[in-house]
Amino acid sequence: MNGQGLIKGLSVTIKHFFSPKITELYPEVKPKLPESVKADFDLDREKCIACGICANACPNKVITIETEKDENNKRRLKRYEMNMQYCLFCGLCAESCPTKAIITKQNFELAAYSRENTKRLLYQADKAPASETEPGAKE
Amino acid sequence: MAISNQESGFRTQEFVLNMGPQHPSTHGVYRAILTMDGEYVVDVENVVGYLHRGMEKIAEDRTYTQFIPYTDRMDYLAGILNNWGFVMTVEKAMGIEVPERAEYIRVITGELQRIASHLVMVASMALDLNGYTPWMYAFYDREKILDLFEMICGSRLTTSFMRVGGVPNDIPEGFIPKLEKFLAELPGRADDFDNVITGNEIFVGRTKGVGVLDAEAALSFGLTGPNLRASGVNFDLRKAQPYSVYDRFDFEVPLGENGDSFDRYNLRMLEIRQSARIIRQALDTIPEGDIMAKVPKVLKVPKGETYCHIEGSKGLLGFYLVSDGGTKPYRLHLHSPSFVNLGAYPKMAKGTVLQDAIASLASIDIVLGEVDR
Amino acid sequence: MENFFVNIAGLIRDLIAGFGLNETLVYLAMVIVKFVAVLVFVLLNVVVLVYMERRVAGFFQERLGPNRVGPQGTLQLVMDIFKLLSKEDIVPAGADKFVYKAAAYAIFVPTILVYMVIPFGKGMNVIDLNLGLFYILAISSVTTMIIFMAGWGSRNKYSLVGGMRAIAQMVSYEIPYVFSFLGVIMLTGSLKMSTIVEAQQGVWFIVLQPIAFIVFLIAGNAEINRGPFDLPEGEQELVAGYHTEYTAGRFAMFYMAEYANLLAMAAIGATVFLGGWQGPWLPGWLWFFIKMYALVFGQMWVRWTFPRIRVDHLMHLNWKVLLPVSLANIVVTGIGIKVYQMVRMMGWW
Repeated sequence: MNGQGLIKGLSVTIKHFFSPKITELYPEVKPKLPESVKADFDLDREKCIACGICANACPNKVITIETEKDENNKRRLKRYEMNMQYCLFCGLCAESCPTKAIITKQNFELAAYSRENTKRLLYQADKAPASETEPGAKE
Repeated sequence: MAISNQESGFRTQEFVLNMGPQHPSTHGVYRAILTMDGEYVVDVENVVGYLHRGMEKIAEDRTYTQFIPYTDRMDYLAGILNNWGFVMTVEKAMGIEVPERAEYIRVITGELQRIASHLVMVASMALDLNGYTPWMYAFYDREKILDLFEMICGSRLTTSFMRVGGVPNDIPEGFIPKLEKFLAELPGRADDFDNVITGNEIFVGRTKGVGVLDAEAALSFGLTGPNLRASGVNFDLRKAQPYSVYDRFDFEVPLGENGDSFDRYNLRMLEIRQSARIIRQALDTIPEGDIMAKVPKVLKVPKGETYCHIEGSKGLLGFYLVSDGGTKPYRLHLHSPSFVNLGAYPKMAKGTVLQDAIASLASIDIVLGEVDR
Repeated sequence: MENFFVNIAGLIRDLIAGFGLNETLVYLAMVIVKFVAVLVFVLLNVVVLVYMERRVAGFFQERLGPNRVGPQGTLQLVMDIFKLLSKEDIVPAGADKFVYKAAAYAIFVPTILVYMVIPFGKGMNVIDLNLGLFYILAISSVTTMIIFMAGWGSRNKYSLVGGMRAIAQMVSYEIPYVFSFLGVIMLTGSLKMSTIVEAQQGVWFIVLQPIAFIVFLIAGNAEINRGPFDLPEGEQELVAGYHTEYTAGRFAMFYMAEYANLLAMAAIGATVFLGGWQGPWLPGWLWFFIKMYALVFGQMWVRWTFPRIRVDHLMHLNWKVLLPVSLANIVVTGIGIKVYQMVRMMGWW
């Protein structure tokens, strides 16, 4: 006591003054996230059997799924949309998928300029594939 | 104390100071209505509810698995501990036996989360006393923990890591060496932190003897967790009613003496070291095996009532579940430690100066997401 | 190099004299020129200081600090000032408008006036007053008034408490602050800044008056309301204290005044205790500059290490520690001077 604590504190801070800095220069240097990170989702259309379990597993009704019957009277995916503004990123959809058709991705830059762009169309029967409609890209 | 008006013959007036809901040191949207006599706090009134999201009502419309992500968002500084408390309640109601490896992973991540939560507490305590630099140091360490969570859970803050019957992910490759490195660095970093702030005369002068709650008062307010132990009451659920595999680990329950802000703060610093000890032991003895018990795809909890609590980072975190036999809870009540602990704040702050009131509030370690739910 | 700036001043003086003005007018014109030079000096240094503070704070906290705007973030403050100036200027509805507005302009005046007597190098001061040190003390105590004007005029409880804290703190700390200089004044027998500097030819007063220097650092830090004595601003308690309600350009004035005050404090410290422009090899004004910035760095180091002191501890520290210590220092200095004189008189040394 009697000022020793103050001096000790000063010595610690000056030690850290010369220690290497930890700042990440974000936009230039992008962080490499581990594979388990579930920041963005994609759909493997080959694997998807349009069962709708993911839509039911979602706590927040993020996933909209539309199906149609094909010529063999088999269910087929027509439209698959994720409304990312309600997403909790819990990963329950990917976990519940029986065929592991939902892929988690590490792209975390999901910010978009308008509310419309937060919707992610992962599949539509007669439209361009999903990954080309990245959110925010349109604006 | 202040010279009274009669003594000085000088007419002064009390004024009402509205601290919050937007104020730098109310840790969110908490509001205190302070009646002030100059610098002295005459009266304090708690106003909560600004972050109320109706968690208990949401639970009634979600399946048991679906509610897990919402528990993260209550005490958002200790998401894993919240997950744990909830899944334990459901497991108890359904009578599910959790595999041993899953329990060990739960202990490791849970104690890491406790360290992270305590680090935020000591950091924000320093910050509320204007110690910007120690705040950064503690957050640097917390960042390391969040990186570890990112590896194992896939998220940093809102982890949603536990499932009914186990944990969703096994320990990934590269996790253990990183954790070992963190555990090796932690004591040195904690000592640095102690040297900057705990031993600092200004800090000690501002926290010693401030916001004192003796054991009796602490118990009568229903305080739990570190706040209760700082008043000298030896009550830690991990020791008192060992749940999970806590009875296999050797650790101490640090206790405070005076129940003042300094004790509450210092107790967290000591608990950080104890938690590191538990993690070290768990790492050494973790068995191989399954991480998920055999649970049905659709969870149906038998009709009845269940109460289960764990030692959260803020105190006793309890879940009271009423089930009607369906897939969703009929009613879920959350006993949140922050809410209970906040009740003792007016007693701590009354009669002190404004700065002491701030220090007392910081020492309770409230998280508004949990206070309002 | 030694007389670089003095020579420039001489050139300007010759130029003005070339217009055929008489002595008094030339003198007046020169005072104005020097005043403008000091003003520019202060404002430029404020830019450097704000940048330095943020970088230094970052380094203490293991991060980098601003490094985006301009090379290594050097233009950060320029952008900040532009941003502040472009913002809406809000005057609270219930405010005492005249006092509220006046405070923002007045806050800079005493700060600038302090610089008038500071010798930046040999013969490099605007006016070398006989009562230089006394003038500094008198002028800088006016700041208290202006801070209270800001706190009172805002009509905000946080501001008012901040203003009251400022008065209690600054008036109290003025006493040990003044006393810390008394030892030096006794040694030199003069209040003139240039004489004080010249008296430190052989040995700096920090060696003869170490206790006074420490008292000066603590009391000076409290005078300019910087951490750990930033109670009038007290972010965690009072949001922003006396300047809570200020926005845009007026806030910028308070912000810059804080740093101008910091620099003034360092300049006074360098002059009185660290030998001013005295030093080997390098030109005098550069020495002064180095000493000044060393003191500034010390202040920042302290600020970014210590938590804020409590109101009552602040007063305890002042009345029960600093005041007795500085009084004792004066007594010891007086005895020391007498003993020294006697020793010299007896011819023992």
